[in-house]
Amino acid sequence: MKFIGLLLHNILRNRRRSILTVTSIAVSLFLIATLLTLLTELESPPETPDSALRLITRHKVSLFNSLPVAYRAKIAQVEGVEAVFGSMWFGGVYKDPKNFFMQFAADTDQFFVVNADMVIPEGQRKVYLEDRTGAIVGENLAKRFGWKVGDRITLEGALWDFDAELTVRGIYSGGGDVGSSLFFHWEYFNEALGNPGFTGTFSIRARSAEEIPAIADRVDALFQNSTAPTKTESEKTFVLGFASMMGNVRLLITSIASVVIFTIVLVAANTMAMSIRERTREIGILKALGFRRSQILSLLLGESVFLSLAGALIGSFGARALFSNINMAMVTAGFLPRFYVTPGTLLICGGIGVFVGVIAAGLPAWSAARRPVIAALRQVA
Amino acid sequence: MIKIPLRYNIGSLLARWPGTLMTAGGIGLTVAIVVTMMALVGGLESTFIETGRDNQLIVIRQGSLNEVNSYFNRDLFQMIRFLPGVAKDDRGEALASGEIIVVINHARMGGESSNVLVRGLSDMGFVLHPEAKIVAGRRLNPGLREIMVSRSLSQRFQSMALGDSIRFARSEWKVVGIFDTGGTAYDSEVWADYNEIAQDWDRPIYSSILLRADSPAAADQIRRRVADDQRINLQAISQRQYFAEQTSSSMGIRTLGFFIAVVMGIGACFAAMNMMYGAVMSRATEIAALRAIGFRRRSILASFLVESLIVGAAGGIIGCIVALPMHGVSTGTANFQAFSEILFNFRITPAIVLRGLLFALTVGVLGGYLPARRAARTRLIDVMRE
Repeated sequence: MKFIGLLLHNILRNRRRSILTVTSIAVSLFLIATLLTLLTELESPPETPDSALRLITRHKVSLFNSLPVAYRAKIAQVEGVEAVFGSMWFGGVYKDPKNFFMQFAADTDQFFVVNADMVIPEGQRKVYLEDRTGAIVGENLAKRFGWKVGDRITLEGALWDFDAELTVRGIYSGGGDVGSSLFFHWEYFNEALGNPGFTGTFSIRARSAEEIPAIADRVDALFQNSTAPTKTESEKTFVLGFASMMGNVRLLITSIASVVIFTIVLVAANTMAMSIRERTREIGILKALGFRRSQILSLLLGESVFLSLAGALIGSFGARALFSNINMAMVTAGFLPRFYVTPGTLLICGGIGVFVGVIAAGLPAWSAARRPVIAALRQVA
Repeated sequence: MIKIPLRYNIGSLLARWPGTLMTAGGIGLTVAIVVTMMALVGGLESTFIETGRDNQLIVIRQGSLNEVNSYFNRDLFQMIRFLPGVAKDDRGEALASGEIIVVINHARMGGESSNVLVRGLSDMGFVLHPEAKIVAGRRLNPGLREIMVSRSLSQRFQSMALGDSIRFARSEWKVVGIFDTGGTAYDSEVWADYNEIAQDWDRPIYSSILLRADSPAAADQIRRRVADDQRINLQAISQRQYFAEQTSSSMGIRTLGFFIAVVMGIGACFAAMNMMYGAVMSRATEIAALRAIGFRRRSILASFLVESLIVGAAGGIIGCIVALPMHGVSTGTANFQAFSEILFNFRITPAIVLRGLLFALTVGVLGGYLPARRAARTRLIDVMRE
């Protein structure tokens, strides 16, 4: 353990340099951890056992096109479908267009069966089901606008020719959107428009996850040759489609992360070069004392890896600590329902730390270990 | 007047060139990332800001934020086009075009599908979109399932080359022309004949009317006229303003870019600080010599600050050079408002380069300040004792 002692002593010798190096690396790894987490969240939306059983049916050509509400009865009879409800994007304005959040007019009888992962007090649920102009709002949404049960809300119709006058009857948590949306009765929507009888999408609860591909095929086959053909996919695939709309986020993030790593290598290399250059004489003495080349090399590499790894761990765990205290679902209006820095990400960051440490010390450590003792001793600091 | 031993500072930086280069390199890469993010956001926003003319108006439904969400009766078109102030062509035809917007789902070259905006317009529509230059093929013929796609779309999406056919709605549509609108928002669209689209989608309505006014004053008049008429439930917006308001789709990327810039900037400051401290500590004797000659403390402070500024500037230049190849690279992202893809290019402007250099200099100064102060505080007596 004398080795470790020597290593620590050397690092602590120039405390300021070590701290600055560790801090610089920590900041960069904080960024990388954040970017990696963003990528993970976009590519793997949160899943619950209930959400894994859901499918979304939409118009084949475009999410914009509506579907006849008559489809519902036919879908309900498809083999493997346990429950189904229709849902229409309302897209209204609450006070200011900037206050964007998801609003849906959904029919109610099967709503909570399909959305079994929504948690709402039984009393509130009953009142919502019975009140034609009632609405339920997600807890994050309620927090954002300070809504309470009983509040009256008006959503100005931007897409549709009427304003929805609603009363908050319940606040839910969980669900596919993690408590970030507003739902009201489809019947109210349909009536206000004069009973045109259409909806936007259907949400289906499958009997089992294995049957999902088969159910999707069966539903689409039903409407293949009609005027409104459908496309049915698991809820997860549907959500991922939105992320892919944003563009090649993966490419952007991995490119930025690569450049950041390269930058850290430069920073760490600079530090190690300075540190090793100052100690040329000492290293000569160590060799004269009998330390072998490989031991010198290990010592120097060890210092470098220690600093980089420390920075990497501080940065990545710092990101984890920060984001576990921020309600990202609320900050991003439900766009990022969760922002969890996974152990996998932490491991990758640790790995980057070690990698950077090794590369940064590489050349100077190797040349220092090789320098002949006499030449080293001759150096005056 | 503070005397700064510039030749000494520059000479020192050059003498320790590995360290200087690595720090400048580190700052440079940071600047490259920041400039690239600014070019990304700038490219997206300029697509919107540079679309549209001042004397043209877009008429959509009252309450809609967007052409995509707007729809109204075709009869209203007759009313609008005869409003006083609407320009006429040499044959006396009103320069107004009724258009319908639909969104289709189509696969990109890489396989993932995305939403694309399709605009159904009439012959008059081409007159009102003079920015669209046909770069290959020809204009579409009315009455046929023919489409024209923008050059950016044809490069990014499958089966959109001249002569290809795509299937959407109820038929096959043939690409007969490729157009380029010079970087405006219309470069993300497919154009087709109004009647064909309205038929296939079974939507005998208009999403919007694009019209040209005789003059900006006339445009104003028309706008007020439309707003005041409660019956028709429409609003008229200047074409330029309409697109300028669509920039909210860049919000997400802008926030991300800003976050990255700030965090990387902080990291770069620490790196610069580290290097400068190293420099200061190893040059204690030199500093003492300078003090002995007669340079005041503030000269030492200033001179070390100048050194870090030079390193910062070098980093800034390196960063801008590294980021330059990104200029003009084309990409696309989601325009959530129109629920379709908007195509744009990375755009590095002189303003962005300037901001990148400023960023680098700021990092240099913030990083170099504390070490410079340390240098200025070097006491002759401590150095002489060593």
